[in-house]
Amino acid sequence: MKKLIQFKNIVHSFDGTLVLKGINLDIYENEFVTLLGPSGCGKTTLLRILGGFLDPDEGEVIFDGQNILPVPAYKREINTVFQKYALFPHMNVYDNVAFGLRIKKMSPDIIEQKVNRMLALVNLEGYAKRNVTQLSGGQQQRIAIARALVNEPNVLLLDEPLGALDLKLRKEMQHELKRIQQEVGITFIFVTHDQEEALTMSDKIVVMKDGEIQQIGTPEEIYNEPANEYVAKFIGESNIIDGIMNEDYRVTFDDKQYECIDCGFKKNEEVDIVIRPEDIDIVKRNQGVLNGVVKSVLFKGVHYEIIVETVKGTSKTVKMHILKNHDLLNEEAHEKISANDFTMDLDDVDNISDTEVIARANAQAWSTEDEDELISLQKVEYEVLKEPGTYPVTFTTANGTSITVNINVVKPIYFEDEKQGVGITAYDFYKTADELQESMALSIDLKKWANATAWDLEDDSPVEITDVDYDFDPETVKEGDYEITFSTMGRELKIHTTDYAEEGAKVGLKFGPEDIHVMSKMGVVG
Amino acid sequence: MKSFSKLAYPYVAWIGVFIVVPMLLIFLYAFTKEGNGVLTLQFTFDNFFRFFSDSVFANVLWRSLKLAFVTTIICIALGYPAAYFMAQLGERSKGLMVLLITLPQWINMLVRTYAWRGILLNVPISAELKVLIGMVYNFIPFMILQIYTSLSKMDKSLLQAASDLGADGVQSFLRVTLPLSIPGVVSGITLVFLPTVSSFFIPKLLGGGDYVLIGNLIENYFVSTGDWNFGSAISLIMAVIIMISMYFTKKIDKDVEGQK
Repeated sequence: MKKLIQFKNIVHSFDGTLVLKGINLDIYENEFVTLLGPSGCGKTTLLRILGGFLDPDEGEVIFDGQNILPVPAYKREINTVFQKYALFPHMNVYDNVAFGLRIKKMSPDIIEQKVNRMLALVNLEGYAKRNVTQLSGGQQQRIAIARALVNEPNVLLLDEPLGALDLKLRKEMQHELKRIQQEVGITFIFVTHDQEEALTMSDKIVVMKDGEIQQIGTPEEIYNEPANEYVAKFIGESNIIDGIMNEDYRVTFDDKQYECIDCGFKKNEEVDIVIRPEDIDIVKRNQGVLNGVVKSVLFKGVHYEIIVETVKGTSKTVKMHILKNHDLLNEEAHEKISANDFTMDLDDVDNISDTEVIARANAQAWSTEDEDELISLQKVEYEVLKEPGTYPVTFTTANGTSITVNINVVKPIYFEDEKQGVGITAYDFYKTADELQESMALSIDLKKWANATAWDLEDDSPVEITDVDYDFDPETVKEGDYEITFSTMGRELKIHTTDYAEEGAKVGLKFGPEDIHVMSKMGVVG
Repeated sequence: MKSFSKLAYPYVAWIGVFIVVPMLLIFLYAFTKEGNGVLTLQFTFDNFFRFFSDSVFANVLWRSLKLAFVTTIICIALGYPAAYFMAQLGERSKGLMVLLITLPQWINMLVRTYAWRGILLNVPISAELKVLIGMVYNFIPFMILQIYTSLSKMDKSLLQAASDLGADGVQSFLRVTLPLSIPGVVSGITLVFLPTVSSFFIPKLLGGGDYVLIGNLIENYFVSTGDWNFGSAISLIMAVIIMISMYFTKKIDKDVEGQK
């Protein structure tokens, strides 16, 4: 195949923001090329430069061996299908399609022949006299394609042409476009942010991000061997895992070495590993390469999406002491008051405040006549020293109803999980059964009551506590001590399969060396 | 929505009292003789015979139509390029230009025409030319704003599409921009032609006594002569001519719109 278009080091900026950072790209004859990326990645800018609607700050565009940047748009042998079609509203279908030919001053009978042939190609025979504004989106789309193709360009540019169509029509047009491209045999350059669209139609996909090309390849190459984490995430769903490439064909992740088919990395190089959800099979425990527990199952129509945890997250178990209801009654004032003991981190003593103490003790006062009428706490008295110990705190209302509970100040107890690089902390706490029952979102409240937090050991950034495990029924809980375990997310793998698996089931996972795709870490485009 | 429609009642009453009733009165006067009592109405076509039998009146009518026509053409010729230029400007400059064009309208038209009278008083040109200058000056903003609105509504990607299909600047203008701005031109014509053809104080102030248009004629018969019957007849003839011309401009508009 012959090189038709060459972008050479194209640089462009809008208002000082670099949108194209030196694009080099070759496009061949008769190719269906897709520029794929999220909005703002520069794909449309590149297309507009080729179409002649924009001059780049730097670089050259070679078309058929000639730099076409000095050539104005109307002299380029390139036609465009615009995002919103840009059909001429004052002309009917025929006049729209004939526009380019009339500009070229062709004779009317030849124009008629060509226009009719084009209308047939896009399956719109008999629509010649229709007003374009009365056509459906899909039909307008076809007219726009016919209007461009009738000029017999060497290249057709399509700027997100399917964006405005509904799902069903979009699928239809994807096949239609591919068919038309194969029939007319010219280069199509198609811009989209829809990865599925790109995979369906293209001979070659150019994945772009922030004005740079991330990867160029066939749909199969892009899908099976993504160049980096970004491409892997953008194209289809993936499990992306940090790993280490020990040597050629040997990669380690989650403390286990696997055989793979990748090579050419440095010894013990840190890499990203992609395993596609559909490449993992669920098998019986100990019959695969990994064991795990099914965390969730979602039905997705054709398949189930199953999340399996293969490595447990970092966790911390605390005790919850369920106390008797201990409201104090002030008969004279017709008021009741309640509060709980609570545990506090030594480090937090400096930042203690009345509001904080009220919240942590869950201190409340209310009228005996109307249980819903909360009475504000006027006084909060406490003296807490910056050393471990037990300190009393007294809450009092305006009418003198008061209650005293204890603050247990303890040295911080952190659990640091070096292997996962996560630290976690939580405290024992005291509650009444009523408070548990009143909770609207128990997991969230338990986290709050236990002051459970987790963080990244490297940079102190917060890590989400995804699991709160307990073994009691909040509706029937009695006084006593209960264990609650807070844990962060371990290694969870997403699996697409047609086989159902029970939530909580212990299963094995199976995948082969060819299913493990090793990529360089981001920043190093491989 | 229905309850809001009651808000229209005051204006409906206004229309009734100040538009429909006077129109009926004009009809009544035009078809009756002078000196009628309310109870002794005498219907006649004399007023119309009188208008069409004397060539003086027909000449005045012809002159008015000619002047309105020339004014409209000049307004299009001067206004279209101005509107086109404005539509190409950035958002802020556009706003400024619209402000500059509407700014003189903040001053009463009569006052502005008096100013023109002072300017043109000792300029050695014909009364007709002076009136023409006054008309164009007063009515061109309507033309510019109408065309400007239709041009700035136009989807800019259409021009890119035209250029993409091989049309150079001139071809793009002739085949895309111009046809799409016709509705603006047509409403501009309505807004310029109608007030021009019936204007009476601009010819009176700028043309002096010796340049009479149909508007002055009507004014004369109502105010100076006191012949309300003949004045009403001329008004009615004017109204019919205006209706006919509006029908034709609407038709042009529809023909263009119809292709959409």
